[in-house]
Amino acid sequence: MAANADTGVPAYRADWRRGRVTSWLTTVDHKRIGILYLWTALIFFALGGILALMIRAQLATPNETFLVREHYNEAVTIHGTTMIFLVIVPILGGFGNFLVPLMIGARDMAFPRLNALSYWFYLLGGLILYFSFFAKGGAAAAGWTSYATLSTLHEPGRGQDLWILALHVLTLSSLAGAINFIVTITNMRAKGMTWTRMPLFCWSILTYAWLLLLALPTLSAGLTMMLLDRNVGTHFFDPAHGGSPILYQHVFWFFGHPEVYIMVLPAMGIISEVIPVFARKPIFGYKAVAMSTVGIAFLGFLVWGHHMFAVGLPTAVDSWFMITSLIIAVPTGVKIFNWLATLWRGNISFDTPMLWALGFIALFTIGGLSGIFLAAFPVDWQLTQTYYVVAHIHYVLFGGSMFGIFAGLYYWWPKFFGRMLDEKLGKLHFWLVFIGFNLAFFPQHLLGLEGMPRRIYTYSEGGSWEVYNMISTIGAFTMAVGMLVFVLNVLKTARHGKRAVNDPWLADTLEWYATSPPPPWNFERIPYIISPRPLRDLRRRLTDEGRL
Amino acid sequence: MRRKALVLSIVGAGALVLAGAALAGNGGTLPPAPHSPNADSVRQAYWFVLAFAAIVFVGVEGALVALIIRYRRGKRARYADGVQIHGSTRLEIIWTVVPVLILTAIAFFIFIKLPSIADAPKASAADSTTITVEGHQFYWLFRYPNGAISVGTMTAPADNVVNEGVHAPDTDVLHSWWVPALGGKIDAIPGRTNHTWFKAAAGVYPARCSDLCGIQHTLMTATVSVVPRSQYESFIKERAANPDSIALGKEEWDHVCAVCHKLNETYVGPSLGSNPIVTSAKDLTGILRNGVGRMPAVGSNWTDDQIAALVKYTKTIVKPPSANGS
Repeated sequence: MAANADTGVPAYRADWRRGRVTSWLTTVDHKRIGILYLWTALIFFALGGILALMIRAQLATPNETFLVREHYNEAVTIHGTTMIFLVIVPILGGFGNFLVPLMIGARDMAFPRLNALSYWFYLLGGLILYFSFFAKGGAAAAGWTSYATLSTLHEPGRGQDLWILALHVLTLSSLAGAINFIVTITNMRAKGMTWTRMPLFCWSILTYAWLLLLALPTLSAGLTMMLLDRNVGTHFFDPAHGGSPILYQHVFWFFGHPEVYIMVLPAMGIISEVIPVFARKPIFGYKAVAMSTVGIAFLGFLVWGHHMFAVGLPTAVDSWFMITSLIIAVPTGVKIFNWLATLWRGNISFDTPMLWALGFIALFTIGGLSGIFLAAFPVDWQLTQTYYVVAHIHYVLFGGSMFGIFAGLYYWWPKFFGRMLDEKLGKLHFWLVFIGFNLAFFPQHLLGLEGMPRRIYTYSEGGSWEVYNMISTIGAFTMAVGMLVFVLNVLKTARHGKRAVNDPWLADTLEWYATSPPPPWNFERIPYIISPRPLRDLRRRLTDEGRL
Repeated sequence: MRRKALVLSIVGAGALVLAGAALAGNGGTLPPAPHSPNADSVRQAYWFVLAFAAIVFVGVEGALVALIIRYRRGKRARYADGVQIHGSTRLEIIWTVVPVLILTAIAFFIFIKLPSIADAPKASAADSTTITVEGHQFYWLFRYPNGAISVGTMTAPADNVVNEGVHAPDTDVLHSWWVPALGGKIDAIPGRTNHTWFKAAAGVYPARCSDLCGIQHTLMTATVSVVPRSQYESFIKERAANPDSIALGKEEWDHVCAVCHKLNETYVGPSLGSNPIVTSAKDLTGILRNGVGRMPAVGSNWTDDQIAALVKYTKTIVKPPSANGS
């Protein structure tokens, strides 16, 4: 069945495009593109993780010389850039690619070729970033934030230019993807799927796409100014010629804070799908959860200055950014309370996806609370630029986003690949990472309070710094062992894993209506949607008819 | 079983962290011990936020664990429905309004504490001074009201209000000035001057750059030495009278040159132990003011006296190979 559903014209496929490799290189199928995103992002996750382990090895003991100076700064810069731009943002896009058309009852994304372009730009951007290690002067070393004037006047190596190029290409990739998601979700929902019957994951991807569309052009502008300052002789950020290094920070964080929600909201969307299924309940407060997603996104554009409290902005401006940042805690709290209420009076099973989802709630709460300290700007003056901030962002982006991503991987793996992941190995993976994560990052709060700045390659203090750093390194390597268990799980189940039926978790959303994995055309027939839980409706009808 | 594993693991992980804290004394549970009124107010603000955060933490994590235990599947059928509850407007309102009240309380307390943190107390000229803090790759330079200069160590009068004007030269990068015991960070930014202050008893307080500023950011540390007012006065008088003193030269060597150069081995830059340039003011001037190769213009705004001071000191430690032939 190779027919275009809308026009009835058979899709033409040249022979050379049917090969095992070429079919992947030329695919415009949203599911295959989604899988390309997933694997590519997981490989970059491994690379970024190796950099993290090198950083932790260097910091394990005082006065260590394993990875110092420019090499340490390169590792820090590329680790951050990788995890944000090459792992979390694209892997969430990969989930969206695979799942959104299935969840809304469409046969593909609105613009399949643009979708493929989006993926190949992503891969290109990632390759540019990693090959920049071989550039003259090494990879970029000014931090993932690349503040001017360090990045403009004092990093003569080509690595910084390649960093700019990589981010420019990745920005184009994400913009194309964002437009595709917005058009797809707005126009291609199945009959009967009103906005309030759409899965919450689709709400989160729609919001993610709008955030990308509105925030990324600002990053592009900042990157372009940086490129011109470095190579053409403009002075946007050069105070000696009337420019301002603070301008760069405003531009960067106007993008940079929405970026945090770009990385967190879809993970929250995954949690909102997983928790009801394993609690055997509908999500508590569907509309409140959907509206808080949109609310967080809107507020996310008003808080960028909380990254700049030490810059010496006027007190009135600092106060404004403190208040807006505190307000964001309200819709975030609404989500957490609604998830907890979804557990209430449920029938909770602890399959691996649910463990990751519950871990998300536990850890993201800590990341949210430490954020309140950082929003209170006089307290931030002590905490900013220390390991407290490192702990905070990892509780939000690893304890939050990555735990959500692993919940999603274990949950949808059967839909992606047609086989279940192993539960025992999955649980071992979860517990190693959960314990390792807390060992790695909780002590970093304490290090930050004690005054250990981030981005330093060594320290001479003994005592508590030494103890906390050692615990942190042990935790990091524990997580790494957990990730190896995941690799083992994937390899083991690839051949011998249990075959997945259409709806192995007895979930409620439309993607489970398709076979596992779904055929290229997704559905034989697309049902008319009468509630946010079409598969539950279907099961009830079949039960009533005595067929189930 | 699973519940036990969960509880045990959480308790175990918590215990490990606490054991670490116990091993380390009570380190890291609060910001550094304050020695200045502004740092003290920051600590109080921290306490206030911590109190609320602790309540919310215990409430949310406690509820999570309780719900997990109470509503676990147990012996029920795997796919038996939970109670099909879709939401509650009243609960949504409650858990929107209560956080708003908590956050309002936090913001209110911060605004009450703010003046004692941000605003330097009024003080007469005899009880205060102003010191300029200048961030360079990779050292801190201090300028005193009478034109005296020190590098790497700020000398300040005890129990006086010390106003600090913090900046970086136009050609340098962004740094962040932080004396943990004496208050929060303030960025040293090329092209603008920020202000902060402290008032401390006599003592020695470590300071450092806290914003990535290049390859030796890690070593960009300084000391704030707070001494009785009379001692401070005589220190700056002495420095102003001898702008090319060997004492300044030693500070420059230790905090500017030695960050990247060693006497007898190649470090970030070449070994300087027998380099004749280092003992020649004429040769040094161009390198310090303009940089060379990877070396930044560390002395972009140095006076001839500052360079002379450095040469005085380097002549005592650098031994150029004696010119045998002549």
